[in-house]
Order: sequence, then structure tokens, then C-alpha cells
Amino acid sequence: MNSSFLTLEFCVIALGIVLMLADFFVLPERKKYLAYLGIAVLTGLLAISFTGDGICSVFGTAFHGSFIEDPLALFFKRFFIAAAILVLFLAAEFSDRIIAGISEYYSLIVFALAGMLFAASADDFAMLFVSIELITITFYVLVSFQKNRLVSLEAAIKYLILGALSSAFMVFGIALIWGTTGKLNFGELAQVSSQFLDNKLFLTGVLFVLVGLGFKIAAFPFQIWAPDVYQGAPTPTTAFLAVGSKAAGFVLLLRVLFIAVPQVTQQWTCLLITMSGITILYGNLCALPQRNLKRLMGYSSISHAGYLLLGIVALAGSAGKSTDGGAAILYYLAGYLFTVMAGFSVIALVARHLADEDISSLAGLNQRSPFLAATMTIAMVSLAGIPPLAGFFGKFLLLKSVIAQGALTGHHAYYWLAFVALAGVVISIYYYFGIVRAIYWSKEAADLSPIQLSGGAKFSIALSLAGIFWLGLFPNTMLNLANEAAKVLGN
Amino acid sequence: MKHELFPWLILFLPLLSATVIALFTLRSKTISSLISIGAVVAGFVLTVLFISANGFHVNAETSKNWLSIGAETSKNWSSTDGITGLQVDFGLKLDALSLMMLLIVTGVGGLIHIYSYAYMDEDDSKARFFAFLSLFTFSMLGIVLSNNFLQMFIFWELVGVSSYLLIGFWYGKPSAGDAAKKAFITNRLGDFGFLLGILTIWGVLGSLNFGELQSIFAAHSATLLSAGVITIAGLLIFCGAVGKSAQFPLHVWLADAMEGPTPVSALIHAATMVAAGVYMLCRVFFLLNADALHVIAYIGGFTALLAALIAVQQNDIKRIIAYSTLSQLGYMVMAVGLNGQTAAMFHLTTHAFFKALLFLAAGSVILGMHHEQDIWHMGNLRKKMPITFITFLIGALALSGIPPFSGFYSKDSIFAQCLEQKNYLLFGVAALVAGLTAFYTFRLFFVVFFGKEKSDHAKHAHESSLVITVPLVVLAVFAAIGGFIGVVNYYGSQFTPDHETLTFVQQLMEPLKTPVPMCIGIAVALIGIFLAFSIYKNADTDPLPAKLGVLSTAMKNRFYFDEIYEATFIRAHDTIAAICGAIDRFLLEGFIIGIIRGGTDLSGRGLRLLQTGNLQTYAFLFVLGVALVLYFVLGK
Repeated sequence: MNSSFLTLEFCVIALGIVLMLADFFVLPERKKYLAYLGIAVLTGLLAISFTGDGICSVFGTAFHGSFIEDPLALFFKRFFIAAAILVLFLAAEFSDRIIAGISEYYSLIVFALAGMLFAASADDFAMLFVSIELITITFYVLVSFQKNRLVSLEAAIKYLILGALSSAFMVFGIALIWGTTGKLNFGELAQVSSQFLDNKLFLTGVLFVLVGLGFKIAAFPFQIWAPDVYQGAPTPTTAFLAVGSKAAGFVLLLRVLFIAVPQVTQQWTCLLITMSGITILYGNLCALPQRNLKRLMGYSSISHAGYLLLGIVALAGSAGKSTDGGAAILYYLAGYLFTVMAGFSVIALVARHLADEDISSLAGLNQRSPFLAATMTIAMVSLAGIPPLAGFFGKFLLLKSVIAQGALTGHHAYYWLAFVALAGVVISIYYYFGIVRAIYWSKEAADLSPIQLSGGAKFSIALSLAGIFWLGLFPNTMLNLANEAAKVLGN
Repeated sequence: MKHELFPWLILFLPLLSATVIALFTLRSKTISSLISIGAVVAGFVLTVLFISANGFHVNAETSKNWLSIGAETSKNWSSTDGITGLQVDFGLKLDALSLMMLLIVTGVGGLIHIYSYAYMDEDDSKARFFAFLSLFTFSMLGIVLSNNFLQMFIFWELVGVSSYLLIGFWYGKPSAGDAAKKAFITNRLGDFGFLLGILTIWGVLGSLNFGELQSIFAAHSATLLSAGVITIAGLLIFCGAVGKSAQFPLHVWLADAMEGPTPVSALIHAATMVAAGVYMLCRVFFLLNADALHVIAYIGGFTALLAALIAVQQNDIKRIIAYSTLSQLGYMVMAVGLNGQTAAMFHLTTHAFFKALLFLAAGSVILGMHHEQDIWHMGNLRKKMPITFITFLIGALALSGIPPFSGFYSKDSIFAQCLEQKNYLLFGVAALVAGLTAFYTFRLFFVVFFGKEKSDHAKHAHESSLVITVPLVVLAVFAAIGGFIGVVNYYGSQFTPDHETLTFVQQLMEPLKTPVPMCIGIAVALIGIFLAFSIYKNADTDPLPAKLGVLSTAMKNRFYFDEIYEATFIRAHDTIAAICGAIDRFLLEGFIIGIIRGGTDLSGRGLRLLQTGNLQTYAFLFVLGVALVLYFVLGK
């Protein structure tokens, strides 16, 4: 076994332990700054993942094939580390609202990151389950971290119970798969899965695994938890949930659907199309009457899961011939990371002293802080998918992959799905621009005091904005990386 | 190629300047103007350094892939399968043509920037003005350096936007706002054709890169140049030039655009924006076939004549110069149509010098006259404004084509081109226009600088400050000598491979090679000047209307083009817009949107009821979802 594949994972786990132990040695008023230690280490790791010769550029498997290092895993590891860096910045800003144990909060974020890194490399069902539980159980704690807020605890209980339910389905599904085929490894399963295409127990098993992953990405009909949990959780947790946890779900979904059971996936294209379409419509329609910002972002995140499923549909339809859909998913996730982080940063900074996180709390933001107002506007415009921002190009690629599939196969279902996605985009513009309107054109603004921003907040927001514009204006670098990573999914 | 970074710097410094001014220094007039001037002057210095290191004939391209959609390789024009991919580069094309244009835009533009520092001194929005100037310079440099159609189109539109901002700079004046809109919309009409032309080219040939297109044309010239679709593409692309270079029938915006501050008139309407059309035609000359060129030549000739006739009876000092610009642009377009790219670009270059000079000198007169622009309120300014007087005279002589001033050489090369192509009709038009040009130019000259003071302002006029007169003098020097300092060599080597480099003396004597057009050119110019002298030497009012009657009224009213457009196109457009508006308001918004929006809203509210917040319900819905999916997959 070549343990050098696990360099990133080992470093991240060590960082988590260091942050936890540091709690004993660092003065209480300085604990806030431990986040910057984490950021520094993670930035170093991100740099190593790009430049470190022989550390991240060598591909192969470990742990008897249950852990795989390939371009897809590497792409997602970079993604998760970047997400954790931005979340730590946000957590540092948020630290004054967490009564006790801020260093534990940081270390839990880092442990969740470790789970995501393992998820990116999972190549059998055992690793899949362990990594997903590492993420989910950490998140139960992260969601409940504002112990003085009842909504935070309520959200944690809901997440815990529904999460346990979905895990139960998933582990049952894994048991069924193992029981019917005797295989847990994705690659080995792929060789035999064609013999079980009529075996209903096997199909039920795969479906139950999808239920568990569908829960992670909040796709219809497993989306029901998202708004309540997004609303109640501390804002940095919500942001990490929206970006990291969702992406972890997607990397596992990609591996299971297109590496472990590709033939089954092809049969299920119709199911995926339906799920994708309904998820888009559900998220966007429910967001329309929503007034609470974080709840609105919860619904918005459901709709984005639907958009991302477009890429899965395109991949499923092409039967491994074209990986454009996969590349589109990766690109979209990258844009989504920067956009969502920018949006949640603004929510966290503006709603600092307000108990409620209502849209009306943004009133007069353009006078209180033009920078935050512009950031929120750009984030919303990007989420709505308007050029020249990241969200536009991601949506363009996803829709293009689906329409190309329609043109290739001649099935109308693809065109209908593209139409539904476009209708969803139109609906979403209404509520995203409702937020922009609240910022600039609200009549009554209760509070017009200027908002002071720390250096860290400014820096992380500027970073997110740069990312949004970079992906929107200069798509090629990221597109090449995404194409490279998505090649793993083809045959 | 040395200094590869320089062209990128030249292009992006003005953008940086515009951004910095807009974001940080809008409150300080001085800092903002210095940043903007610094950016364009630095661009000029870098251009000179780049040329002195590499010479004019680098023939290089530096490009970065900006975006590719679809397949990596672009489609070969002769293959039968569909269009497979679009690759868009952001690249810079560096050859004699673009380098000369760089010199003109940064050089003449730089002088105009400096001049603006004094001219706009009293304006409260000076910082905003310089931000716009920088944005404009960036856009214009982008057109010049583009190596492909799409990039050029983007900068083409940026020039449209920034000229809109500059023409409408004094937006408090309704006439300025209207003029800005007119310029923008008229340009958009032309640009629509330009875009269609670009799409046609891409659809037929599968590439947008100038170099690639040129080699495709070189390899398949016989089949391609005789194809009807290429004629159409060429004419559509020419539409873009018709808009930007203000050719008939889209010439109406240019004179109104004089509502902008005078430096803007000099920058946009002499040295840069209107030159973009001619430059573009020369850049893509290889894809214009004989039919397209024929149309181009006659449109150019007609515009030249039309504008010269209108200029004879205008009384606003800036409008006269504006119409002369139109007329000279007609010359250049005509020259392109007659296969004379060298002559066209030569005239474009000398014209940039003497027309910028005339505009800036007119601006100096306007400043001295406290913003009075009617020439019949001026008079006898030669003693009060001596530097302006001398420099204006040099500009006027160059414009009229009197040897040895620059305009004489470039105009003569256009005349020679007419005869070489044996197009005697267009030669006649060109000669007539030359006579008219000399006449109206010196009409303006005599009325403004000679005779009696015709108002109080004229009696108290004074010479402008050094910041204004120094750019005048520099431009005057180039307007005088621009005809024989090698300009023609650089263009000649670009367009005609067997071009031999002329020495200084050869350039000086070049017109003698073709004595017929030279003599005719000089003769008509002298006749024009003599007529202007005898009619306007001491005139207090214009005696021409009485003699010419209806013709004079028609000229004065610009042959009623604005009125005709108003009565036909604009009226029709307004009617269609009103109908569409009614459909939109009542049918779409009231009926269809009402139903869709109401339905969407209702379904949103309905779905929201699912989210009860009750955990048991959630768990139930979750399991129901699982059952649903199971049924969907296995139930059939």
C-alpha cells in the first residue's frame, strides 16, 4: 500500500487534532484566531495539491482498492479544501456568536473536511459509508453549535433523525448489494453488475444507496429537511452544508452511478430526468414566497441540486461516450462554491445583531456598506445565471450537455428537461432579484449604521468575488481541469 | 519579437486608468486627468519603443485562448459536416497597419488628452470626462489590435458605448442627450449588419481569425471570391463601416455629435472612431470581392460629394468641420473601393493630423469667443489669436490639398488611384469635391479670421493658454510635413508585397509621376480658395443664399435627410413600437403573464404547506418518497 496517496487526509486530520488540543493552551480571547492557523495550513495543502510532485500527481489505489486517487478525486479534494478555507474565514467572523468551544467548532469543520476528502477517494461501499457518516455526524454537531438558540437545536434534531433514516436506507441498500453480488468494490461490481440487471433485490439495493445520496444533495423527494436545517444552523455551517456536503454527495453519486453500476444507470435515465426536473421546480417554486434569507437559500440550494442533476442525466444518457455532463457538474460546483460563500458571508455579516434573518434586514445595505451590497448583488445575479458571472457559464454547460444528448438520441425528454430548467431559471430570477431590490430600493430602513468589516472578511469576500468573475470571464482553465477530471467517468 | 508585453500594456493601461478614476479618484480633477493623460502618453512611448525595437514589419500575433465551445479544432470551410466548434481567442495582431494606427491613436489622442486638460478646466465633471476618454481610448486600441472578428466586434461596440458617453457628456443639455442617442442608435443599425456579416463568415468558413481567414482566401481565391455569399458577407461587413465611418445613408449622426465637448469632436470625429470603419475595411480587405468593392467605391464617392455640398452652407464652426470630415471619410472609403488601401490609410493618417488640428483650433476659437460657435458672430480674429490663426491656416491648406502640405500628397494618391482604375466618373466627383472642400474651408477661414468683428465677443477675444496652443503647434507641424515622412512606405509594404521603399526626395516628388491628377487637384483647390476669397473677404453676411436660391436652402438643411428619416423610418418605427407596446401591455402582461405568474405564485404557496416543520411529517414524506421512487423503478 502506498500511503503517500493519503498525504492530504493525514495532514487534515492532524490539523483537526492540533486545533482541538490548542484549546488547552490558547487564551480564550485569542481562540478566534486559531481559524487563521487552519486557513494557513489548508492553503499550504491546496498549494501542495497543485505543485507537489509525486504527492498528488501520482494516481493509484490503496487499502486493497477501497481508496482511489485519480483526477476526479483530486479535483474534488482541491474543491473541498478551498471550501473549508472560505468557511473558516466565515467562522472566524462568526465566532462572537458562538458562546463556547470555538476551537472545537474549527476542528469539527476540519474533521468534516477530512470526511469529504475520503469521500472524494471512496472506491467501495464501505469507504463510501464510513466517509459519509464522518461528514454527517460531524455536521450534526456543527448544526447544533449555537446552543443558546432553540432553532439551532431544533434543526440539529431534525437533521439527526432524518439523517439517521437515510443512513439506514443506505446501509440496508449496501447490504442488499453485497448480498446479491458479493462485491463491495466499485470496479469489481462494474464487471458483474450486468448479470444482475433483472435482480430486483440488487436494484432495490442500488436504489437505497441513491436514497442516501439523494438525501445528502437534497434532491426531490429527499429534500424535505433542507430548508429547516439551513435556517436553523449557524451560518458558517449552513454555508459548508450547501457547498461541501452537497459536493460530497455528488462525487459519490458520480462514482456509484457511472463507475460501479453504469448499466443500471442507463436504465434509470428516465427516473433521473424526472428527479432533476421536479427538484428544479420544487426548489424554485417554494423559494418564491420565502422571506427568511437562509431558508430561501435552502430552497435555492435544492434547485441547484436539480440543475446539477442535469449533468448526471446527460452522463447517464450518453452511456460513457461523452463526459461533458460530468465536466459541467464540476464547473458548476466550482462556481457555486464562490457564489454561495459570497452570499452567506454577507448574510452572516449583516444579520449580526438581528435575531431574525429576514430579507428586510438587507434594507439600506447599499448605504451601510456599498461593498457588501455589491457582493450580495453579484452573488444573486450569478446564482440566477446571468452573464458574465460564474453561474451563467455553469448553467450554460449543463444545459448544453443535456441538449446535446437530446440532439444525439432524439428523445424529447431531454428537451423537456432543458425547458423545465430554463423555466426554473426564469422563476429564480424573481426571488433573487427580490433580494437585490430589498438592498437598493427598500423604502424603510430601520438601521443605517455603517457596517465595519474586518480584514479577514474583506479578503475572503474579495476572493469569492474574484472567483465568480474569473469563472465567468475566463472559463478555460477551470474547464480544462473539469474535463480532465471528468474523463474518469467515461469509458 | 522583443518587448512582447508592451502591446498588452498599451491596450490595458487606459482601461486601468478608467477603472482607477471611476473607483477611486473621481473627487480630484487634477489627479484624474493626470492619470488619464499618463496612460495614453505611456502608451505612445511604449509604442515608439516597441517599433524602434522591432521595426514596423513584425507581422506577429500574440493570442490567448479565451473560450472554446465544442470541438477543439475549428471547422474546415470545405468539409461537409456541420459546424463543430467555436474557438474564441483574445489576441493582438501586430503589423505595419496596426502599429501605424497605434501611433495615431496614442499620439494624436495623447495631444487631445493634454489639450482637454485646459479645455475642460472649468467643468465640474472633469474627472468623469477623463474616465470616459480613457475608456474610449481603450476601446479604440482594442479595435486596432484585434486579431479576430469577434474580439473586434466587442471593442467596436465598446467604442459605440464610450462615444455615447462622451457625446452626451453635457447630459444637462437636451440636444446633447439626443445627439448621443442618435449616434448610438445609428451606429447600432450599422453594427447589426456587421454582426450578420461576421456570422455569415463564420457560418461559411468556420473561422473568425483574420490570419486564418486570409490563408483560406489565399488558398481558394477563385472559388471564394466569385461566390455570392461572400459578396453578401462583404457588404454586411461594410455596413459596420457605414455606421462607424458615417457613410451615406447612416451619415446623419456625425454632425449632431458635435454637441459633445470640442476635444471629443477632435478625438472621435477626426482621429479615431470614424477612422475605425476605414481601418476595418483595410484589415479585412482580402474578403471583399469586386462586386462588394464596386458598391463601396460609389457609396464613398457619393458621401464625399453630399457632405461637401452641405458644408458649403453651414454656419456653425464645428459643423462645417464635421461635414468636411464626412466628406474626407467618403474619399477614404472610395479609395478602399478602388483597391487603394494604401491611399486610403495614407489619407486617414494625414487627415488625423490636420483634422484634429482644425477641431482643436476651432475649440481654441470657441474658448476665445466664450462658447460662441456661429462664424457670422466672429471676424478679424487673426490679430487677437495669432497662434490659432497660423495653425488653423496650416490645417486649412492641408485639408484643401495645397502642396507641400500633407493633405496634398494623400489626396493626390487617391486621385491617382481613380485614374489607375480608369474610373473617370469617380475621378470627376473627387475633383469636384476637392474644389468644394477648398471653397468651404476658406469661407470659414476668411469669415472667422478676416473682415470686421461681427460681435462684442469677437472684439474681446484673446489667445488661449499654452496647454492649448502647444498641441496645436505639434499637430500643425505634422499636418505640414505628414505627406513625406514615410507614412506611405509603411502602408505600402503592408498592402503591396512588391512595394519599394521611397526615399525622402522620392516621396516629395511622388505626385509628379502622375502629373494629370496633380495639376487638376491643385487647380481646383486654387479656384476654390480664390472664389472663397473674392466672396467672403469682407462679407458681413453670406451672399450665397441670394445667388443659389433653393439649392442653398437645401444645403443648409442638409438636404432634408433628418426630416425624411423622421417622416419615414422613425414614424414607421414609432407606429410598430406602439402596436407592440399595446400587445405587450394588454395581451402578454395582462392575460398570459397574469395567468402564469399567478399560477406560479399559487403553486409556490401551496408547496410551502408541505414544509410543516413537523418532524414526523418529514419522516413520513421521506419514506413516501422512497416508496415513490421504488414504484417508479420496479413497479412496472
